[in-house]
Formats: sequence, structure tokens, C-alpha cells
Amino acid sequence: MNPDLDLVVHRVIRAPRATVWAAWTDPDRFAQWWLPAPTVCRVDRLDVRPGGALVTRMSDDGVDFVPHMDVTFLVVEDLERIVFTNTVDSSWRPVPPAPVHLTAEVVLADHADGTDYRVVVRHGDPASRTRHEELGFFDGWGSVTKQLAAVAEHS
Amino acid sequence: MAQYLAELDGVFAALADPTRRGVIRRLGRSPTTVGDLAREFPMTLPSFMKHVRTLETSGLIRTVKHGRVRTCVLNRDRLAVVDGWLAEERRIWEERTDRLERLVTEPEENRP
Repeated sequence: MNPDLDLVVHRVIRAPRATVWAAWTDPDRFAQWWLPAPTVCRVDRLDVRPGGALVTRMSDDGVDFVPHMDVTFLVVEDLERIVFTNTVDSSWRPVPPAPVHLTAEVVLADHADGTDYRVVVRHGDPASRTRHEELGFFDGWGSVTKQLAAVAEHS
Repeated sequence: MAQYLAELDGVFAALADPTRRGVIRRLGRSPTTVGDLAREFPMTLPSFMKHVRTLETSGLIRTVKHGRVRTCVLNRDRLAVVDGWLAEERRIWEERTDRLERLVTEPEENRP
């Protein structure tokens, strides 16, 4: 874990593991939670196996859809683990994803109250170190605005 | 949501070019006229104006016209979008997990 680049979401979900798994693997169910209402999610491909595709589109009005995700599953362990990345698209072509490269890992385990659900999202650096230095920010991406204010005030 | 993501893409795309980063850095010091800015970059004025328009479209800068002089001003609030990217990603995943939880725990008849 790199606290500047990664995040963890951890929950105990009061539902059986198979039910949570189905929400990830059944396109109709997946479309119901992946994006926040009123945005409408359309699942073009949900092929939950290593190397398989996850392709979604989204719409603010339910009429005009724009691409949302086009990613590849790296690891799939039935009822236990799903890992996908947006660094290669669903045809395995390396892509420059926006805004940032990521690998998301979802781990499911049994829990007395239902399902222990953990997501770890590992991000690439959204901009290279060089870019920061060019901009005159030397303290990492997390303080761009502060550094900018400092540059502005001292010159 | 779609619009927000498109805006975020626009900001990162705008920052992906060295000339445009140079403009941001310069405007961090003070608002500057297009003419003065253009002289600092080795390219034709039409090429430079393309960069200015990209920055303006992304919302990172705004331009104000007084008579025949156009001045560029940095929009600091927009840079904050970049600053808070990890917090934003965390919010997206937390809320996504909330929705997953609701879907799998609520009885079907209560679902919209």
C-alpha cells in the first residue's frame, strides 16, 4: 500500500457471498450499482474471467450514452477475488486511461454476519515527477494547489 | 457524473502538454496578456492560441478582454480538482460499495 496512491474500502455486507458475487457477475445486477443515479449504466460486456472484458457506457439522460469503462480482468477466483485494470482495454491493447491508471482488487470472504468485502485500488501516479518539477511543485501531487499559491506569492 | 468525468479528463489532458504547463506556471505568478505570454513560447501565434483555448476549455484558465487586449488568468479552483483526485476516487468507491450493499441486502420488492 502506498497511502499517496492507493485506497482501501472495507465492509461487512449482510448478505451471502454468492449474492455479492452475483451482483458483480450478472450484467443486469451490476448495472444497478456501478454508477450513481441518475446516471444510467449500460453493460456492454461483463466477462468475469482472467483476460475477460468489462465494458460499460453511461448516460445522464438515458438516451445518449458515452463510454465509461473499457478494462480487462486480470485475476478471477470464483466467489473469492476479482482483479481488473484499466491499463489495457478489453482487446488487451495498452491504453492511456484517464484520469489515472489503476488496478482494482475485490476480495470476498465469509463472515459471521455475511460477507467480508474489501476493495483495494492501486493507482499509478496521475502525472510524472517531471511534470511536477516543470510546474514548480516539489512536494508531490497531493499539494499542487498549496505549492502553486506559494509560487505565486513569492515571485 | 458523465460530465464531471469528462471535465476531469479535460484537466488532465490540458496538463499533459509542456507548453500548457508552462502557461499555468507563468500565470501562477500573475495574470498576463496573451501577447506577452506568446512571446515566451517559441511558436506561431495561431499555434499558441490553440493551447490557450485548450486551457480555457478545461477551465484551468479564463481569459478577459479589455479593448483589444486579452488577458489570461489562472483558475485556482480548477487545479484543486487535480489536487483532490485520490479523495475523489475514494468517494467514488465508497459510494459504489454503499450501492452494492443496498442492492444485495434490501428485499427485492423495496428496490426501485
